Amino acid sequence: MNYPLFLRVQSIVLMSSSVIFPFYLLLIRELGDSYAQFGLAYGLFTVTSAFAYLAIGRFSDRFGDRVLLVVHTLGMALLLLYIPVVTAISHVYFIQIAMGLLGAIQKNTEKTVLARQEIATAVVGRHIGGYHFKTSLWSAGGIILAGYLIDFLTIGSLFYIISVCYFYATLRLLLPSATGQKK
Amino acid sequence: MKRMFTCAVIVLYMTAFGLSYVSYEQREVTVSDQSRILPMHVKQIQAATSTSDLTDWIRQFAAKQQHVSIAGLQHSQGGQTYLPGATVLDMKSYNRILRYEPKQRRITVQSGVTWADIQQKIQPDRLAIKVMQSQNIFTVGGALSVNVHGRDIRYGSLLDTVDSFRLLTADGTILNVSRSENNALFHLVPGGYGLFGIILDVTLQLTQDEWYQQQTIALSYEDYPAYFRKHVLGNDAVRMHIGRISVAPDGFFRDMYLTNYLRSSRTVPIEDEPLKQETIIALPKALLGLSRYSDFGKNQLWSFQKSYFLNQTGTDESRNNVMRSDSAFMEYTNPGRTELLQEYFIPVDAFVPYINRIRSILTQDDLNVLNITIRYVEQDETAALSYAKQDMFALVWLIHTKTDPASLAKTKRVIQKLIDATLDADGSYYLPYYPFATRQQFNRAYPHATAFKAAKKQYDPHAVFLNQFYIDYFQ
Repeated sequence: MNYPLFLRVQSIVLMSSSVIFPFYLLLIRELGDSYAQFGLAYGLFTVTSAFAYLAIGRFSDRFGDRVLLVVHTLGMALLLLYIPVVTAISHVYFIQIAMGLLGAIQKNTEKTVLARQEIATAVVGRHIGGYHFKTSLWSAGGIILAGYLIDFLTIGSLFYIISVCYFYATLRLLLPSATGQKK
Repeated sequence: MKRMFTCAVIVLYMTAFGLSYVSYEQREVTVSDQSRILPMHVKQIQAATSTSDLTDWIRQFAAKQQHVSIAGLQHSQGGQTYLPGATVLDMKSYNRILRYEPKQRRITVQSGVTWADIQQKIQPDRLAIKVMQSQNIFTVGGALSVNVHGRDIRYGSLLDTVDSFRLLTADGTILNVSRSENNALFHLVPGGYGLFGIILDVTLQLTQDEWYQQQTIALSYEDYPAYFRKHVLGNDAVRMHIGRISVAPDGFFRDMYLTNYLRSSRTVPIEDEPLKQETIIALPKALLGLSRYSDFGKNQLWSFQKSYFLNQTGTDESRNNVMRSDSAFMEYTNPGRTELLQEYFIPVDAFVPYINRIRSILTQDDLNVLNITIRYVEQDETAALSYAKQDMFALVWLIHTKTDPASLAKTKRVIQKLIDATLDADGSYYLPYYPFATRQQFNRAYPHATAFKAAKKQYDPHAVFLNQFYIDYFQ
């Protein structure tokens, strides 16, 4: 897939996940009533990721990275609509499993796209560094902005806004004309 | 084909968004007090900022026959600040100081103002609060609604220091309430747990800030009542007083130490004395932590605190600073466990046999008591639900418990025994804490409850103001 589009989508994705992460943790803490439940919720996330990587790797070779990125961004957009309405710890377990899956898709795809770039071995380091620089800068901006915004927004509305961000990323992926280039 | 797919995704997302938003709007909110063991789903939480908003809301709730519970900082643990399905009014932002008259030693504040806010305002004018809790984190409205008492032994109850207050009643009218105006409500609203209306603002009497010299002595519980009458009540120089009785295995319900605050001859200008801030809490927090889980820790905490206070003897402190005791080290948020308060009032003369009985109950039954402090309350039956039927010692218990149903049931059994012992000694217990007491125990401790209920029906026939506490003990 084309690199400028990938970079834009990744920037949105990484910014969005950094913004919601602290508030998502707060939510889990509110719903759970023991550290054991907290540990279980995180364990589920990691275990799901672990097994998901096996399938995702093969899938990306077969169908391409863009499809997987669509699954990730659309999945997150929908999942974030669910988070504000959860009421029980069992719902959180479900979300953690779904996030484990979607998170694995994102991580794996990020690496496969980068690996598929045709770049001279001599400058791979600089290239990857540049990628991380740009996406991290977006995350930083998002986190700082969220810190100010949260005084004016409820935590619920923050989840909705970030869901829209993920959906915007989905549309960018589905409507390639927006970047003026095709794969 | 691809365009159709994209359109389908957009429609799917928008539908999901709509569904989510609708159910988000309709969800119920979970609230809990500071002990976190009575969480409930309420309809909504509304933060009050203006009197006109409050009046409009109350009229709307009354018209729709909905219930309202009133909340300040929510340190009441007996469901006084919420009710399933009701709207909780959060009064914390309703916190302006309306009028301050230093010459008349008087201040009028909105009910969400905290004692700390008042201290900040009046300290430069050498003024201090007459009666409040030992900590200054609470709101004035909350304190009046539970009719608090504190370390001061000369100014009576909080209600005695109130000139007047304004009350927003169930039909949306605002009444001035004082000893001369709407007098019946003057006895019902303080210690009325938010059941008669919203306290809008309160006019409080102030007193002068003074230097006090601390005097801490250790003694046996058997000598306490006589000592108290002669050297505390009998000595006009003593302005404030607090005692502690050991819950550590080494001196279990025998060892005590007492701190008196005596008028000091110090002449340093008191307005230059900065209000103390909570400083380093790591050590007391660690010791309290240790005492939660072991007898060793309990012994260590007792001897550390005792020698600390004994060493403080002779030091001078301003009245304002005595009235802003540390509390951050006691904050406790471990999921699955909590710290509860209980408070029992015992006639001064019944103290020794009462302590003997408590000791024997707690030798047989397990209860993880972390700390007991003792204050004095003068007989005062101004409030309809008064706890001070005679001159009493007030024992405030800090109890650690797990919050699973079995552990809570066990804690409840022991606490009911303690309440029985208290009532047998002609005592009573304080209502803002977790409702362990049976209905029978409640009626025994508060014989005026029937009259209170009749008054409630008269002033608020449709129960616009309602909370879980009322449901538990009056309905």
